[in-house]
Amino acid sequence: MYLMGNTLLEALNVRVEGSGQKFLVLAHGFGTDQSVWKGILPSFTPYYRVILYDLVCAGSVNPDYFDFRRYTTLDSYVDDLINILDALKVDRCAYVGHSFSAMIGILASIRRPELFTKLILIGASPRFLNDKDYHGGFERGEIEKVLYAMEANYNAWVQGFAPLAVGADVPDAVREFSRTLFNMRPDITLFVSRSIFNSDLRGVLGLVKVSCCIFQTTRDVSVPTSVATYLRDHLGGRNTVETLDTEGHLPHLSAPGLLATKLRRALSR
Amino acid sequence: MPTPVSAARQCLTEEAARVLDDAVAVARRRSHAQTTSLHAISALLALPSALRDACARARSGAYSPRLQFRALELSVGVSLDRLPSSSRALEEPPVSNSLMAAIKRSQANQRRHPESCHLHHQIIQGQQQTTSLLKVELKHLILSILDDPIVSRVLGEAGFRSCDIKIAIIQPPVTRFSRTRFPPIFLCNLTDSDPVQRSFSLEVSGDENSRRIAQVLLKKTGKNPLLVGTCAIDALRSFTECINKGKGSSLPAELAGLSVSSAENDISEFVNGGGSEDKLGLKFKELGSAAEQCSGPGIVVNFGDLKALIEESVSGVAVSFVVSQLTRLLELHGEKLWLMGAAGTNETYSKLLGRFPSIEKDWDLHPLPITSVPFNDGFCSKSSFSLMGSFVPFGGFFSTTSDFRIPLSRTNQSFTRCKLCTEKYEQEAALIQKGGSTSSVADQYSESLPSWLRMAELDAEKLVDVAKTTDDPEALNAKILRLQKKWNDICWQIHQVQPKLDISHARFQVPSAEDFLLSANRKEGSSKDSSVIKSQHANPSSSMPTDFQKVFPFEQDIQIPVASAAENRNFQSELLDKVSKSQQIEMKSPWFARYPTPNLSLPPDCASSSPVTSVTTDLGLGTLYASASQEPDSSKISGDKECLQNFSGSVSAEVDAVSESTSHQVAPSSSCSGPNMGGQSDIRDFKSLRRFLAEKVCWQDEAICSISKAISCCRAGNGRHRGSSLRGDIWLTFLGPDKVGKKRIASALAELMFGTKESLISVDLGFQDRVYQSNMIFGHNEFGCSGTNFRGKTVIDYIAGELRKKPHSVVFLQNVDKADNLAQRSLSQAIRTGKFADSYGREISINNTVIVMASMITKGDRTFLSSKEPKQFPEEIILKARRYQMQILMECIAGDSDRSNGMNVRVTPRKGFLNPKSVNKRRLTETRDSMVQGEIFEMPKRAHKLSRSYLDLNLPVDDLEDIDYGDCDSDSISENSEAWLEELFDQVDENVDFKSFNFDALAGKIVKDISLKCQRSLGTKVVLEIDYEAMVQMLAAAWLSDRNRAVEEWVEQVLCRSLAEARQKYHLTAQSALKLVTCEGTFVEEQAPGACLPARINLN
Repeated sequence: MYLMGNTLLEALNVRVEGSGQKFLVLAHGFGTDQSVWKGILPSFTPYYRVILYDLVCAGSVNPDYFDFRRYTTLDSYVDDLINILDALKVDRCAYVGHSFSAMIGILASIRRPELFTKLILIGASPRFLNDKDYHGGFERGEIEKVLYAMEANYNAWVQGFAPLAVGADVPDAVREFSRTLFNMRPDITLFVSRSIFNSDLRGVLGLVKVSCCIFQTTRDVSVPTSVATYLRDHLGGRNTVETLDTEGHLPHLSAPGLLATKLRRALSR
Repeated sequence: MPTPVSAARQCLTEEAARVLDDAVAVARRRSHAQTTSLHAISALLALPSALRDACARARSGAYSPRLQFRALELSVGVSLDRLPSSSRALEEPPVSNSLMAAIKRSQANQRRHPESCHLHHQIIQGQQQTTSLLKVELKHLILSILDDPIVSRVLGEAGFRSCDIKIAIIQPPVTRFSRTRFPPIFLCNLTDSDPVQRSFSLEVSGDENSRRIAQVLLKKTGKNPLLVGTCAIDALRSFTECINKGKGSSLPAELAGLSVSSAENDISEFVNGGGSEDKLGLKFKELGSAAEQCSGPGIVVNFGDLKALIEESVSGVAVSFVVSQLTRLLELHGEKLWLMGAAGTNETYSKLLGRFPSIEKDWDLHPLPITSVPFNDGFCSKSSFSLMGSFVPFGGFFSTTSDFRIPLSRTNQSFTRCKLCTEKYEQEAALIQKGGSTSSVADQYSESLPSWLRMAELDAEKLVDVAKTTDDPEALNAKILRLQKKWNDICWQIHQVQPKLDISHARFQVPSAEDFLLSANRKEGSSKDSSVIKSQHANPSSSMPTDFQKVFPFEQDIQIPVASAAENRNFQSELLDKVSKSQQIEMKSPWFARYPTPNLSLPPDCASSSPVTSVTTDLGLGTLYASASQEPDSSKISGDKECLQNFSGSVSAEVDAVSESTSHQVAPSSSCSGPNMGGQSDIRDFKSLRRFLAEKVCWQDEAICSISKAISCCRAGNGRHRGSSLRGDIWLTFLGPDKVGKKRIASALAELMFGTKESLISVDLGFQDRVYQSNMIFGHNEFGCSGTNFRGKTVIDYIAGELRKKPHSVVFLQNVDKADNLAQRSLSQAIRTGKFADSYGREISINNTVIVMASMITKGDRTFLSSKEPKQFPEEIILKARRYQMQILMECIAGDSDRSNGMNVRVTPRKGFLNPKSVNKRRLTETRDSMVQGEIFEMPKRAHKLSRSYLDLNLPVDDLEDIDYGDCDSDSISENSEAWLEELFDQVDENVDFKSFNFDALAGKIVKDISLKCQRSLGTKVVLEIDYEAMVQMLAAAWLSDRNRAVEEWVEQVLCRSLAEARQKYHLTAQSALKLVTCEGTFVEEQAPGACLPARINLN
């Protein structure tokens, strides 16, 4: 089933907020939905038309839209993103993507470089698994255990994973992340995690010509700091790394104020 | 039909059944006919249960737990009281449908999500699934009871959110996110000794990759895929295998029968020196003929990993041969032959590109990023399929925050809105025709539109242009504004669905039509949305043509009236010529004059079914007015030719002009058009504009030059356009220092362009930050546009109010960088749309307004310019000048014979930065030097230089402070406003940079002047010291005063007179020095004419 046009906009809960000339896409990562941006959204609505949407795997999207045959690679998510932008008739936009969506943004900018003025990648990683010259943070065996744990008892996995991912000691953020994680149907979560861990963007980074800003927190369970440097060195455009003085994989939940400030600065550069 | 309790009990575990019994008991006690969810809640709350515990954890921290529980019990009790009690007491009030439904729900859920309950492991081990009836656990029962809307309402009344409680129930209390007590099941915490070691091949379908490859193969240009990515080689291999094994079912039909031939081995053998050119050439020839003979779509030549071609070991000549051969192959058999290859990383590809720059074109390559490994065995793991079987989303259990969900009924909502708005529009249009004034429903209504709807106004803008030439601007503006609103809304509707006849747009059209159907279905009462959606979307292709046809007839309906309207226009205008011109219609004309075009452009847009009726009626109105406006156009055009020549704008602008002049004749009292028209020639004349401004402010030549340029340019029709029509508003920014100069230029502009200085609306957006004390010079007069005028209103309401009173004016906004969020938004909107919205969203046209935004910030560096170089009299200090009374003191300076020779006027440095002694010393040595030179007349100047030189030593301290202040100030605002300001500044017609006013030079001049005059009245022997504060006051007065010579006159008339008095009074000797100081604490009682200085000076 292909989602197109308005159906797509509705299915993925696309919203355009704010009153600016320029478009800004805020794309959430794995395990969250667009509500994850609510802490930083108000700082952008006065200056941008902010496009928010849910990934098809998010809990807030009708799980029927998740086609297990289609969403096997990131490319289908890229299709969705580009279709949304086309349906909204966006011709230029800045893109802020977190984690999973950062990968999507990278691929989208390869496919349609003229569409993006800038990519801001938060907690991004081209590859989560370690390789011989690359430290992605995970060993294959570990991943398999995680996936198994997820399948065995989703509930327990969420409760363990949420505080670990949030990192910083912000109970609200943990609760919010748990909520959105819970909202996802477990089989979809599992499937998406597989396709994420299975993806490898390292070979294609050089095809990105849009300038990127990589946001990296001081400690992130999913993304080692070396990955940020790797991204900076291998992405094809002009790239900068911005270190956020906070911990965890979800700075937009745990430190929205800080992130908003840094984002504003990065976007105006 | 209520269910008997015993039947319900069978579905429950023991624990849950006990709760049900309690609930039944509650119902019996209250002699209710049925046991409902509320009874269950009441029973659950009575005992220390999971619910109570969850409530305790989920409660908001604002109230004490005891109070909140009390409230909960109370609200449950009250709701139970409301239930009707049955006449006869039942032994076991049967279970109500809603409660039974909850039980069923939990049962189903438990079956679907065994992993989320503890039964899971039992199922795996003990094969419990065989039991047909699953007993509902208490936890699940509570969860589904909480879904009951009545229950959520009752909980909500007590301040609980049922979703919070649900989460609390699901999360066992022990964990509470504490990492220490509950080891996370993640990575290292997993025991390796887990008995069930399932292998998870990280399989992801290569299907998707193949699909994308096929897409590339189908393209016209760039049809030869080069897979790039770590997994590219695997993807290539899997695609090849897939095709050759005949599993190409995933390929599109056009590619059926495609085959892949691998030249990979031959190539790599050749480049490594293993074969001859002939052999490879032969291979390629074979491939070529294979392609020709092939019956299907052709063959794909797989040249394998590009890495083989760029390795160090291979010879360059061999690679060139391969490349040229492949290029030739493609040239010869391009129709039926594809090339395909892979590169592990982009670097490999760029290296090849570096060697063969034209290869991308020659080989017609399309780099395709490949990011996932292709699958090798089954498509999806079985376990995930088993999970897939469940349909109801787990997420349905947790209500998401509602505002983040956009229901599918969005279009539906807008449809109802449209009807509403057209109705209102018709009402009001009728009212306006009658000439009655209407209330502001429109405004309120527009408020209720979500913001993203309002954005569409941009599109609609071109329709409207108001507020020119009005007798009673306020009332008419209001009316027209409201109509505008209406039109915007309608227009939005029309723009919202934009089906053109081409296919790509048809795609957009169809879903909305679908949704419309859907909403219709909903009205009929089917609540199962998802199923409806499903059926709608399952076969979009089949529903498309029919829907489209449904829409099509409407289009035709509309085109007819429009066409006829266009034809009729001339006819109507002739008719109307004879009709006595009702003033009202005429005043509408400038607005409606712009209508014909947009109206005519309506038909292709009107396909959405619902606004059809409204559009036709509106069209009727529109043409009526349009013809009305047409009429003065034709009749007056000859008479007003001269007038017309002034306008070189678009046609609509001309119509404006004409109607302007006509209304001027009809209503001579029309206040603003007069000067506007009269001033036309002046304004156009750049030189005269410049001369006029330079008369007012002589020190800002460059700024004035660029202002005049900008204004004459805008007036000449090169200003901002909205759609095709010219906008009358001019936006300028005055950046940098010189507050007074900016203000004065603004008021001069007002005077010049709109006749009086009164047409200046001056507002200081930074007034909250600045406390003007009553006695400050700059808080006092015209600069005191501080909070007093609009206390109790927001700034933008004040501005909007003033604009309503005088639409032809210059709006001067000081400290625009300090604008609050509301003002920022309003201004950005205004500059975009030409309409200024107040805080209620009511808009007022600023079509005849010049908006000047002033800021101390300069565009370039965003810092406060004034602190760049040390100055004796920085602007900040002058701005703080107060209106103190002045006083002349006499001091004896003992034992300093040198000084007795000269008369001296000098300015003491600022207080607190130098101790008097060192001043004295420095001054003495310096003066001595100058005495030696004996140039008495140079003294004042020298004194000035002198004092300057002291200050140079000290000012850095002072300046540093200022810089600090400025920086922190700008920092605090920059976070919020920087981006906004930048954007705003980019949109204005002209950014004008101001120089800072040279106070030091002015001070020198004044001192010199005083010195000259003193000599005349006092002789050369007396020293006059002017206190820094006094000097500041004089400078401020000079800066502020309209006349150039105001301070000189004051010196002559007031200071000299006082000095003369002082001489008489004090019997001045050589040792005496007079001091002009300010009396701190006493303020000017009587002001000298023309300057902000005291009319007389005290002598002590």
